[in-house]
Amino acid sequence: MKKFFFLLSLSVLTLSLVMCRKAVPFAEEDYDERLTGGWATVFDETSKAFSHAVDGLTGRDLRMHELGDASFEQTFVSAPSPVNNGLGPIFNNVSCISCHHNDGKGIPTVATPTSSLLFRISTNGRDAFGGPVPVAGYGNQIQDLSIFGKIPEAKVDIRYEEFTVAYADGEQVSLRKPVYELRQTYSTISGTYALSPRLAPPVFGLGLLENIPESTLIYYADEQDADGDGISGKINYVYNPETKRREPGRFGLKANTPTLRVQVAGAYHQDMGITNAVFPVESSWQQPQLDALNDDPELPDSLLHAVVFYVQTLAVPARRNVADPVVKQGKLLFAQAKCSGCHIPEMETGVNLQIPQLSHQRIQPYTDLLLHDMGEGLADGYNDFLANGKEWKTLPLWGIGLFEKTNGTPYYLHDGRARSLEEAILWHGGEAEQSKNAFLKMSRAERNALIRFVRSL
Amino acid sequence: MNKKAISLVCAGALSMAACKKSDQTTAGTDFDTLKKDVLVNFTHNIAIEGYKDLDEASVGLFDALTLLNAEPTEAHLTAARDDWKQMRAIWEQCEGFLFGPVEDNDYDPNMDTWPTDYAQMDSLLVSNNPLELTDIQNATLSLRGFHPIEYILFGNHGSRTAAGISDRQKKYMLALATDLKNTCHDLHTSWTGETGFGRLVISAGSGSSKYAKMQEVYIAIIDGMTAICEEVGEGKMKEPFDALNPAIVESPYSGNSIADFRNNIVGLQNVYLGRYKTDGAGINDLVAARNRSLDNKIQSQISAALLAFDNITVNFETAITEQRLQVQQTMDALAQLRATLDGELKPFVLQNITD
Repeated sequence: MKKFFFLLSLSVLTLSLVMCRKAVPFAEEDYDERLTGGWATVFDETSKAFSHAVDGLTGRDLRMHELGDASFEQTFVSAPSPVNNGLGPIFNNVSCISCHHNDGKGIPTVATPTSSLLFRISTNGRDAFGGPVPVAGYGNQIQDLSIFGKIPEAKVDIRYEEFTVAYADGEQVSLRKPVYELRQTYSTISGTYALSPRLAPPVFGLGLLENIPESTLIYYADEQDADGDGISGKINYVYNPETKRREPGRFGLKANTPTLRVQVAGAYHQDMGITNAVFPVESSWQQPQLDALNDDPELPDSLLHAVVFYVQTLAVPARRNVADPVVKQGKLLFAQAKCSGCHIPEMETGVNLQIPQLSHQRIQPYTDLLLHDMGEGLADGYNDFLANGKEWKTLPLWGIGLFEKTNGTPYYLHDGRARSLEEAILWHGGEAEQSKNAFLKMSRAERNALIRFVRSL
Repeated sequence: MNKKAISLVCAGALSMAACKKSDQTTAGTDFDTLKKDVLVNFTHNIAIEGYKDLDEASVGLFDALTLLNAEPTEAHLTAARDDWKQMRAIWEQCEGFLFGPVEDNDYDPNMDTWPTDYAQMDSLLVSNNPLELTDIQNATLSLRGFHPIEYILFGNHGSRTAAGISDRQKKYMLALATDLKNTCHDLHTSWTGETGFGRLVISAGSGSSKYAKMQEVYIAIIDGMTAICEEVGEGKMKEPFDALNPAIVESPYSGNSIADFRNNIVGLQNVYLGRYKTDGAGINDLVAARNRSLDNKIQSQISAALLAFDNITVNFETAITEQRLQVQQTMDALAQLRATLDGELKPFVLQNITD
């Protein structure tokens, strides 16, 4: 019997030792810096760099990705139509790809077929769910186009005021500040309102961002700036119309949308006027533009699902020139200037049972998905759930060095006002003021190195 | 070893030595020079020449429509239809290289958006809209370009008669043709001159602000070929085929769909062979210099795909129900070609053009 207990104890001990064996992380030097999206990285630096499916999808998943890809490119037309039915009656553009050129960033113009800038609108206060208050007759977005015979809600005039900023070494840079004005409003807007410009962002790597655990976001959030580094950062808890709960916002330029499904459904609904399972009522509801057709939801749920899957499974382009000594110097300067305080270089994704390629990936998104006060210069005065008029989500920097390839002419920041990375850096204020000041004090060679580094992302 | 055997071994060794590959291509040009020649030939003799033809064809179509407007006879309608098809053939071939300004400046959606928005077109035509050029330029993309013109010229399945074209339709058609002419002209000039896109392609890897490495522009070209192969085989053909739905076939009014698809692949072939009106240095020469069997494979797969189209003998809208075998075989041929372009030609470029 003694022998038996001895053997039993021994096996329990062995078992517990085996069970306790921890996974040992790779040594730092074993990581390849180029793998921006971990497994979901693609090696392509052409204009199609943002348009690849993550590697290793099953045949069924790849087919779904392709269906989503095809739908993403489809031009919608007004109802009734045998194909791609349901555009408008009021809208901002006719297909996803019209704004997200090459799955990338858009062009800061309005109301043309290739425009990618839209405007949110709200009056003071918060609605029942903590979100922005709609303007009577307009909702929360200005639809600046309409199908023939209907009236667009308004047009937006954009003009830019140029001014210069000087570096410590005396060199000057010209920046342009946009001024927006509503005109040709179809009905009078009573009371005050705020406009918020939103330029279409790139759509790759979003499945990875959706899969960052909330605990990671909480870890980086520091709303009261407890560590005293001048950077706070808060999660925007927003309303999910499907789950009817408050959830962390991750998508949208103010982190105002919780999931890709809500984001995609919202874009179909508000940007193209196409009703769907998440938003089954026309965006022109209670407005004179509303059509009398009983055809909602206009988008089949299978297509909505496929497009969501498509953006979830778009791979991230690999970094380039990582061994270049100037790029390495720039990386150091980026950290020293505390840019990496918000543009967090590395994170690990959580578990995704449906898409294993997105699970437990060490990624380099260069964002914390949190809201930060960016100062008066970038303020829009528009409240969006917990985001106030000066707060914006940290935009991911991965792929930013390829905007010239994917977009022809690149534009940066939430409204495309910056025509170069340099201008974009110089617009930073608020919590990023100290980083901008550090940049202003750098020598020309150091500034170039920092920009070279950002271009390598 | 007897003498015979020794001489055999020597002969073998000699012939092997003679067969040893040098870096000389079949044309006698070294590989590095050829890499540049291919880009120069592609830029001038394929891309710019193609866009020039498109530019001229758009003027021809405009003139034909002007004549049809003035004298609506069946002969003039037929002539306009022929011009539309001729221009369409050039454009579809140019789709073999959809990168650069055609994509960056959205010339493609401006002239070739599908589907047409019937409901809006009807509203537009019955309205008081002046239908001037600016009205067309402000219209949504699905009311611009080739397909609304096609609808006016052909009607449903070619049912249009010259007398059946209303005054409003004529006005609309002329404004559309003017818009198309402007777009094609802009597309052409975007490639030419010292500041044109052609210069950025030719100077790839040696000062091009767009392509820091020559490899990048080659990848852009190969990706363009792969993308059009995919779009035809897995989009334009497969979607109506799978859905058994003739309503979602592109270019249905003119019954021109199969010609469209085939011309896309001809465009791809032009790029690969460096051959349009003249035969110059092509990617095929680069491939043949290092991997003749791959070149043979690509050329034969392109030919097979083109031949497969010829087996479809009815309009595509009919073929998706009546000739499913032939359509499937064509899609299979395109899938094979696409796999080779993406799986073998692209790695070839990555391996052999590294600067």
